[in-house]
Amino acid sequence: MEPLRALIRGRLLSRRDLLRLGPFAAGALGLGCRPGAPAPAARAPGGGRISGSIVGASHRIGHRLRDGGFPEPQQTREVPVVIVGGGMAGLSAGWKLAGSGMHDFVLLELEAQPGGNARWGENAVSAYPWGAHYVPVPGAEATAVRELLDEMGMVREHGPDGEPIYDARHLCHAPQERLFFHGQWRDEISARALLDAGDTGAVAALAAFDGQVRRYSDYRDARGRRAFALPRAASTTDAEIVALDRLSMRDYFDRAGWSSERLRWYVDYCCRDDYGCTLDTTSAWAGWHYFCSRPAGAEYLTWPEGNGRIVRHYMARLAEQVRTGMLVYRLRPALDAAGAPAPDGGVEVDALDTTSDTAVRFRARHVVYALPRFTARRVIENYPPAGAPSEEFTYCPWMVANLTVDRLPDGAAWDNVLYDSPSVGYVVATHQDLRTTPGASVLTYYLPLTPPNPEVARAWMLERSWDDWVALIFADLIQAHPEIESLVSNVDVMLWGHAMIRPVPGFLWGAARRAERRHGAIRFAHSDMSGLSLFEEAQYHGVRAAEELLRALGHPHASSLPPAADT
Amino acid sequence: MDDPPTAPGGPAGARTRALLIAAFTIATCGLIYELLAGTIASYLLGDSVTQFSTIIGVYLFAMGIGSYLSRYVHRDLVARFIEIEILVGLIGGLSSPVLFFAFGSISAFRVVLYAWVLATGVLVGLEIPFLLRILKDQFPLRDLVSTVLSLDYLGALAASLLFPLWLVPRVGLMRSSFVFGVLNLVVAVWMCHVFRREHGRPRLTVQAWAALALLLAGAVYADDLMERSERQLYADPVILSRTSPYQRIVLTQANGDVRLFLNGNLQFSSRDEYRYHEALVHPGLAAVAAPRQVLVLGGGDGLAVREILKDNRVEQITLVDLDPLVTDLFAAHDALAALNDHALRSPRVRVVNADAFVWLEEHAERYDFIVVDFPDPSNYSLGKLYTTTFYRRLAAHLDAGGAMAIQSTSPLAAREAFWCIVETVRAVGLHAAPYHAAIPSFGEWGFVLASSEPLRAADRYPAALRYLTPDIARSLFDFPSDMAPVPVEVNRLNNQILVQYHTDGWSRYAR
Repeated sequence: MEPLRALIRGRLLSRRDLLRLGPFAAGALGLGCRPGAPAPAARAPGGGRISGSIVGASHRIGHRLRDGGFPEPQQTREVPVVIVGGGMAGLSAGWKLAGSGMHDFVLLELEAQPGGNARWGENAVSAYPWGAHYVPVPGAEATAVRELLDEMGMVREHGPDGEPIYDARHLCHAPQERLFFHGQWRDEISARALLDAGDTGAVAALAAFDGQVRRYSDYRDARGRRAFALPRAASTTDAEIVALDRLSMRDYFDRAGWSSERLRWYVDYCCRDDYGCTLDTTSAWAGWHYFCSRPAGAEYLTWPEGNGRIVRHYMARLAEQVRTGMLVYRLRPALDAAGAPAPDGGVEVDALDTTSDTAVRFRARHVVYALPRFTARRVIENYPPAGAPSEEFTYCPWMVANLTVDRLPDGAAWDNVLYDSPSVGYVVATHQDLRTTPGASVLTYYLPLTPPNPEVARAWMLERSWDDWVALIFADLIQAHPEIESLVSNVDVMLWGHAMIRPVPGFLWGAARRAERRHGAIRFAHSDMSGLSLFEEAQYHGVRAAEELLRALGHPHASSLPPAADT
Repeated sequence: MDDPPTAPGGPAGARTRALLIAAFTIATCGLIYELLAGTIASYLLGDSVTQFSTIIGVYLFAMGIGSYLSRYVHRDLVARFIEIEILVGLIGGLSSPVLFFAFGSISAFRVVLYAWVLATGVLVGLEIPFLLRILKDQFPLRDLVSTVLSLDYLGALAASLLFPLWLVPRVGLMRSSFVFGVLNLVVAVWMCHVFRREHGRPRLTVQAWAALALLLAGAVYADDLMERSERQLYADPVILSRTSPYQRIVLTQANGDVRLFLNGNLQFSSRDEYRYHEALVHPGLAAVAAPRQVLVLGGGDGLAVREILKDNRVEQITLVDLDPLVTDLFAAHDALAALNDHALRSPRVRVVNADAFVWLEEHAERYDFIVVDFPDPSNYSLGKLYTTTFYRRLAAHLDAGGAMAIQSTSPLAAREAFWCIVETVRAVGLHAAPYHAAIPSFGEWGFVLASSEPLRAADRYPAALRYLTPDIARSLFDFPSDMAPVPVEVNRLNNQILVQYHTDGWSRYAR
């Protein structure tokens, strides 16, 4: 599967590459290059038996932001607070406000379903995630995550030391993971599972790597802060650790002399899995954060609908505030006498109700802007302010597919990863099902598009047809599951144009840290401000913005955040 | 009006020979089909004397009906003869699969059985008169009757020798039926060829070939895929095999010993299952002060329920088993229901077909005694039923002063697995009293008695037990050093360590 490997290396597939993917792709491409005209030799996946489509095409609505031409608002509503964006950051901000007894706000979300990367779907077989699908058991610093999980009923009891003991029903059941390597499944996804004991260089490299993981994990600065913490804001600012951000993970490996291909593959896989970036494009700080921010052997909380479970919990509390189908196209902060945005001057929020195609204006005292930062210059007037440093926020596109299968492939674990595959494998939506009976399931397949230039990857992604994706998925999975095509009855595909902020070298401790936290009465809240597209970071920024707001409003509240956080 | 077999174009001798060979084949095959029916009926219903007597009686009587009916057939005797040959081949050839299939419902089984015997008998009964009439111009009556009848009896002899000496031990019931159906049809096809001028119906030849192809396919596939593999797995003759959405159910029987296998794993042998079920039920049940409401999880064979019913203090038993095919078989099938003394039809028993884990979540009733009789934790699906999460949920259904008994694999073969179950029960805050019993067909078997308060051993057991007495039961709680506790981890949903212990233990033991 040479073409697939090219995709791992960050090269997009040419038409010829796709042709080489196999019999499905040949047919798929016939359709792909002549829209609407079925190619005579086309071989539909599963002989036409497999249904499905590309779902969630809101990028088209979003692109209206670029094109403009919105109607003028006919009505105006006064509201103390508007939260723009109903992803995890915006919902977390709403959760903190409502949890503090502050209910007078609206949350505007473009999609019909809130949740952002944590959105989920459901069919007759199971609920399934469209993106984020687990939360690692939170460490001591992730105070807000702990508070939320406790509130969600995920904690069965507190141990004698006060530490939460999570309900085993929601901790990922065994078998948790497996890795397909050289024609066989190994029951662990790790560098160790891949190690060739005869390769002394690799053995030494792995030992050195593990030693470094331990050192960084045990690291505490003068204030007792860890080298790599979750939320990121609780991490040390020691120069020695921060300097790692200037290197790529590959630079680090090269300097350390760790040349083992398998070790590099494993770390590259981890970077792609968490950040949508490769060894080359992930900063060493972000890379080590992956390995050292959580205790060894940390477990995962997971649900059939993935982090959609959290969205549901949030929505049960925010049903009155959340308005979906609302495209916020203009934020106009009031200016002070000097022409700068006034911190207490209020903001006009203009939004298009996409269901009725009418515009509405909200006059808010405060706004939480919980959209990815790249949208800000199209939405917020006079943003970024003149003379501000340029904001180099770049995002990795992902393709996520949900495959409905009549039965699970033999021995399926929760997370199933293929060595040397462009994808990061698939997870099983029904894994936490307590029934003993085997049956149909849904596999969620994740493909980060990792070329160095995400614009190119995004354009390539949007040009692919459903048939192309199905061909690519089967060509990938067939190595481990020769029978995969016969198991699948439906494939739905979601294209995430800006799925994850890219922690490229220099970004986390450079542009992300320098970026505006606030623009007049507008407070920013998004995981991209951490440079790590993780639930913990999105929630941290949402709660942080909400708490700043509560303070500004003089509303009493208890902080949910760790005291040592470097905001 | 009869057509003489003397049409021009071929030597009359060849045709006569074909007809006589056909007579011999029909006689052999006919008797084989009856022997098959008798054997299958004995396997499934027991009482072989009754089965063979009634089947052979019905068969001979049906032949008489056939002979009588032959008078109403006036023309096209050769074509009719070949048609009957095809029909006998089809009906007889399919007899084993049809009878095995019909076994699922016992009332239907008897109807199908006698209908099948009747049909075969009538068809075979038609053939001898036809043959005599076709050949009546070839031979003097004296020679004709002598030849046809002696061939008929010779065929019967061949059948009665082949059946016990070769077919049952070597070929198997399922395949024998197909093989003889095929033999019938080969003769039919050959006759179609020899008598192609006389019958003048190309369609008949096509029909004969089609029927032959069907049975050949049956012989190759049905037998090959389903039965042959099973025959290699099971030492004894398979009397029933079914696939439900959940499992493969196989019953074998030899010398009065019925064995149930689920997915190839022995569930019980009727020779010694009383030891297992008495040990599973009574030490716990007798120790509970007032066991009115009892829950049984798994155990769709009703054998544990049979033991519980022996205790008159029990008012209602709820049996929750996943597979309706199992509970239906053991409720409605005479031979199988006899094993559990028709326990599943008792007014004190309520049968629920549901997944235990889900059912416990959806219901709130509490029970005085709970029997947990699941298959061994040999895979992750079953391993869930031995986790802290499961026992915690189960404990919520246990009334104060109640107890539960858990089948816990062999402490000798899979020592770590056994003690892992004990420790898992303790990890949820229950008292666990492990014990074991010798079950010859299983080996040393382990159980765990779990309760929220420590239990006092009972000094009275129901009278009708064959194995347990209070004194013997007390001795079961002592473990010799080869089964003594070993350090183990607790089995949780997120480690499922028990599956590993179980696999390791049994694979070491089997080696």
